[in-house]
Amino acid sequence: MTLARVRGTVVATKRADTIDGAKWLLVEECNQRGEGRGEYLVGLDMVGAERGHLVLLTQGSSCRWTRRTDDRPMDTLVVAIVDSIHGGGAELYRAE
Amino acid sequence: MVLARVKGTVVSTHKPSSMEGMRFLLLEKIDAVTLAGKGDYVVGIDGVGANAGEIVFYVTGSSARMTEVTRGKPSDATIIAIVDVIEKDGTLTYQKAGAAG
Repeated sequence: MTLARVRGTVVATKRADTIDGAKWLLVEECNQRGEGRGEYLVGLDMVGAERGHLVLLTQGSSCRWTRRTDDRPMDTLVVAIVDSIHGGGAELYRAE
Repeated sequence: MVLARVKGTVVSTHKPSSMEGMRFLLLEKIDAVTLAGKGDYVVGIDGVGANAGEIVFYVTGSSARMTEVTRGKPSDATIIAIVDVIEKDGTLTYQKAGAAG
């Protein structure tokens, strides 16, 4: 999984994914401290993440291994909201 | 999924028979904040009826085979949505003409 920050939402009514009640999040890829890299993706929200949350993204075919996304054209999921990150004996990130 | 703008179409007559009838669209990846093109192009199969100028998002890899149009077909980039609105940090950075905000 990779770290990303929820920066907003994307609305799309004409779609081919056939996922009911899908919420699309605009996420910015982040480093281990939660600092954005200026690279954005659109991800399907699986956990009720909101703007400002640091989240984990699952990408690729593994995105189809959930009940909602089985057999669907999905390659980016928001699968977890991060509380804190520790590394090298220090706290690198903690959610506000 | 990756945001891109439809820049045009790609025509190919020599292709597998399983790909007959598919629309190949020329896509330029965009910056989600400025909406400017990144100069990075891919060719995607149209899964939603997208047209030139529209902002879309597409899936890559094996997931690109999971639409009605591409199931069992050798696509590794398929457009699955036409974007109406992009909101970042509470501000609309994009609103498609005619789309309800």
